Amino acid sequence: MIHFHNVTKEYENQTALRNITFSVGKGEMVFITGHSGSGKTTLLKLIYLAEKIDKGSISVSGWELEKLAESGIPFLRRNIGIVFQDFKLLANRNVFENVALALRIRGMGEKEIKGKVFEALKTVYLRHKTDSYPKALSGGEQQKVVIARAIVADPTVLLADEPTGNLDPDTASGIIRTFKEINACGTTVLIATHNRELFRNTGRRVIKLDAGNLIGEELG
Amino acid sequence: MKFLPYSFNISIQSLIRDKWINLLSMVTIAAGLFIISLAFFLAYNIDMATEKLPEKFTMLLYLEDNLQKEYTDNIINSVKKNKAVLSVKYISKEDALKELKSALKNSNYIFEGLEENPLPDALELKLRKDLVGPETAKKISEEVLKIKGVSEVDYGETFLSTIQYIRIGIKTIGIIMAIILSAGIIFVCYSTVKMLYYRRQEEFETFKLLGATRGFIRAPFIFEGAIIGLGGGLLSLFGMYVFYYMVILKFSVTIPFFKMILFPSDLFLVLPFLGMLLGIAGAALALGRLKY
Repeated sequence: MIHFHNVTKEYENQTALRNITFSVGKGEMVFITGHSGSGKTTLLKLIYLAEKIDKGSISVSGWELEKLAESGIPFLRRNIGIVFQDFKLLANRNVFENVALALRIRGMGEKEIKGKVFEALKTVYLRHKTDSYPKALSGGEQQKVVIARAIVADPTVLLADEPTGNLDPDTASGIIRTFKEINACGTTVLIATHNRELFRNTGRRVIKLDAGNLIGEELG
Repeated sequence: MKFLPYSFNISIQSLIRDKWINLLSMVTIAAGLFIISLAFFLAYNIDMATEKLPEKFTMLLYLEDNLQKEYTDNIINSVKKNKAVLSVKYISKEDALKELKSALKNSNYIFEGLEENPLPDALELKLRKDLVGPETAKKISEEVLKIKGVSEVDYGETFLSTIQYIRIGIKTIGIIMAIILSAGIIFVCYSTVKMLYYRRQEEFETFKLLGATRGFIRAPFIFEGAIIGLGGGLLSLFGMYVFYYMVILKFSVTIPFFKMILFPSDLFLVLPFLGMLLGIAGAALALGRLKY
């Protein structure tokens, strides 16, 4: 599903990732961990081409990213659900519209949008907050809206960047439970986190990064 | 393209949200289009006023004295062969004098002591309406002067040239003004859309990350540009209509000449369409090439 082969990414003489090679199979749920600045976010950004690859190759669901033309990027991103670290919710749109945006971009009809959005909000237990605006929601609720937006279009891959960053332990474990449920439906899930508690005893693969190097793998 | 209805909704919401900026742009566009319309209005009315002149235009060919009838008929036939000539009328020197006398009936003393008719026989030529112009008239004049028996040609060369210069001059000034003001209108739309885009840039970054195509991001702005331009066009049309009814028709009560001035009906279609087109052009330029 996701293959990194000798991938290097540099920012103005600073190497963010160095010769990274790993694979994630279809339907897997994998954690990427490391300290701040270890390259977790950069690695995720390379997958949805928010950053360009300097060296090496990446393939995602059969897309050869280093060969992909700019016009193809939107279509790659439509296969990937992304849970952003900074949420990227639109303050002037309510919960329904924020989630529906991912479907409107795909040109879906109103009736279908309504059904899918309500289903996604049900998955994250937020059906009752449809008309609320992001500012009126707690951090955990906002995170759930982002997850709902990421899964609403049934992506093949779900990426989450520090999805429990500012959440209390109970809310954080609730979020991870939601990811497990989504993964159980066959979606490949890749979660970048510095919080070791999240993957402890999960039995899932954990890829460890340090200063841009892949230093090993373990089971959580 | 399924997203177009949504894009249209977004553009309407944005137009309402930033109503003052958009209204200001519309008024600016309307002012520009109003000036273009005025030039068009002027050109149109001058065209209408001069349209009937070719029908009245005649050339006079003065013939040498004492030509035999047969010879005169030959000249008439030669002149008729020219494709630009519509009709030829023979005016004898007697008829010409009679006409002159009737025209100057209050100054008949001029003819006192006149022993001989000083006027020559003449041919009056009418040209085909579409071919009337200084160049055609000059060409025909040169050709007929070569015919033996024709002594002089008179066709009001200066008058024809002046009319031609006025028409060309007004059209040229109109076109130049239209080009300059159209560029100005495009710039207004460009600036408005650019400003609106920057205000919502963060939103569009999210759109892109969620898989929005360039078309999805651009479409609302193109709609906005079109609506602003259309609004400007309709406002300028309203302005022109008010100008015509409040100024021109009001003046026509005291100055009858103003009654001849017409409102070009083409403006009802041209102004809104032109405004919309310029609005779209400005928006398209402002968005340029979106990077991913």
